[in-house]
Amino acid sequence: MKTTVIGAYPKISDEHQELRRALHRLDRGEIDQAGLASVYRATTAWAIREMEEIGVDVVNDGHIAWDDLLAPFAAGWRSCERGPLERFYDNNTYFRQPVITGALEGDGHALVAPFLEAKSIAKHTLKAAVCGPLTFATLTAADRGYGSLEARTLAVAELIAREVWGLKEHGATLVDVEEPALAAHPELVGLARRAYERLAEAGVDLAIYPYFFAADPILEELATFPVAQVGLDLRSRPTRALERLSVLKDKTVVLGIVDARNTAIETPRELADVIEKAIGQVSYDRLWFSPTTGLEYLPHDVAVRKLSALVSAARATKGVPA
Amino acid sequence: MNDVLPTTTVGSFGKPEYLQKARNAASRGKASARELEDLERQATAEWIRRQEEVGLDILVDGEMYRGDMVAYFAERLDGFRIGGLVRSYGNRYYHKPVIAAKVARPKPMTVDWFRFAQDLTDRPVKGMLTGPYTMLDWSYNEAYRTRRDAALALAEVIRQEAEDLERAGARYIQIDEPAVHARPEEIEIAIEAMGVVTQNLRARTISHICYGDFAAIYPKVLELPVDQLDLAMSNYEYRWLALFDAHPFTKELAIGVVDVHSHRLETVDEAAEGIRRGLRYVLPEKLLPHPDCGLKTRTVEESLDKCRVVVEAARKVRAEVARRAVA
Repeated sequence: MKTTVIGAYPKISDEHQELRRALHRLDRGEIDQAGLASVYRATTAWAIREMEEIGVDVVNDGHIAWDDLLAPFAAGWRSCERGPLERFYDNNTYFRQPVITGALEGDGHALVAPFLEAKSIAKHTLKAAVCGPLTFATLTAADRGYGSLEARTLAVAELIAREVWGLKEHGATLVDVEEPALAAHPELVGLARRAYERLAEAGVDLAIYPYFFAADPILEELATFPVAQVGLDLRSRPTRALERLSVLKDKTVVLGIVDARNTAIETPRELADVIEKAIGQVSYDRLWFSPTTGLEYLPHDVAVRKLSALVSAARATKGVPA
Repeated sequence: MNDVLPTTTVGSFGKPEYLQKARNAASRGKASARELEDLERQATAEWIRRQEEVGLDILVDGEMYRGDMVAYFAERLDGFRIGGLVRSYGNRYYHKPVIAAKVARPKPMTVDWFRFAQDLTDRPVKGMLTGPYTMLDWSYNEAYRTRRDAALALAEVIRQEAEDLERAGARYIQIDEPAVHARPEEIEIAIEAMGVVTQNLRARTISHICYGDFAAIYPKVLELPVDQLDLAMSNYEYRWLALFDAHPFTKELAIGVVDVHSHRLETVDEAAEGIRRGLRYVLPEKLLPHPDCGLKTRTVEESLDKCRVVVEAARKVRAEVARRAVA
């Protein structure tokens, strides 16, 4: 039974605003890209240390250098541009929609350097992350390279598979695939499975996270995906998934039990109730706990309290003193 | 005021540098509230004058006194507390409010600013409010059991403010709902809450909607009880207009014809073409050209340039409409 995080960590706090200032200074021409990169490194180190000090077992790099979930890929691949601004699902957070101008190309190294940087900092197990192919394909604003959503999704999957290969070659053993589009569009589950078969060819453990929406309509299908872990958002919308965890058979189930999009801190009793229900259906060694989504939707101080509540609840379950 | 293709804007304008500096100083305790307010009034007066000079028909106060469209109200309503910084995009952050207890309005929040701006011009100035659904969706809710409960409680305090604006002389009241499509399954809540706000108003009512999946709430959104929907269109290359082929648009349409998140200045011809597209679906008397959204992320000069393009484009298409009428 482990604790982990998903996606982006808050990039600044009330006290720690170096990155915000550095980006302003870059805009004013007071620092160059190398100067900004050093601030990204320092901020990533700050985020990883915080997660580790709170006691999160498996951490990520906090996506500190990611402008949004799609940005490293839209910016890093050839024949792709970052296009119009759009709201990211039901959040008051915005992203640049990709614009595909031709056949996509990428060398699988979009994430390697930041991953190695984070690896040199992390003392706990570090996992990597990529954007889900269905999410990237469905959020694309314009596509002049492929004739259909199906063709675009599978092409994006090929490139993301290359990124997963690249991460594996540099030591990644677990890669999160953030895939809100799958829960938003359960009717596309068949297409998504084909895309994940390509991702799985890299031979590294994948964890799929269809967050923001209830995964109830796709729960059985998720059990057939070639992934090692399935993450479930139990707070964003009403869901009965917690009562049906046994359908996930041999998957490790990562339960999003603290709401990363609301400031109310879950009580120990609330968390214990959820964990108890899960333990009845999934063995200890296949049960992890996480926030529902990335913590960047919360102010930093609340994100810290949420993670602390998560870690405390997991430790209490294991009988470890807080 | 032009009866055909009357021009307007969505609400906010770029703040002049002297005001930005004053706001920063005030946040550090180095300028008094009185000093800041004096400069906010100065900037508001400048923007009223600029809008008149540019030739806009229906004006706004420019929101020189607001930082964020939700936090401004949250800071003045009982029941809210202001949370820590959260990123919206890029390097932009805002203090996301928390609904921590039952909400109430201790006193009017925008009426003095409306009176101040309206007294400076003979042209109509819009009263500007944030809608209850957006207030809810862009806040954290710790106080209400359901999102509907929270939306209806917010609707009640916004109704009070809207009715005060009307009593103060507002002929146009805009109740913005940019989050209305955040959860399409909750559109009924947004409609019910807006009904609470507008139920007693005789003023022309408007709701601005932007940046989201408009298709997911169309045509249901036509049930939003306001006279005019104010939509970002340029940013979407006008694709939402195609929805009106299957389900005719039944309200006045304020149509966004310049992108507010781009430094690039559209040509008059580009904006005029946007207006012509809108005219395929809405009568010229019911079509109001404007920028896609508030211009607060642009500089004063960029804001002005974008407004000039809107006005010039409307003038051009207005002449075409007049020629057709004569023919």
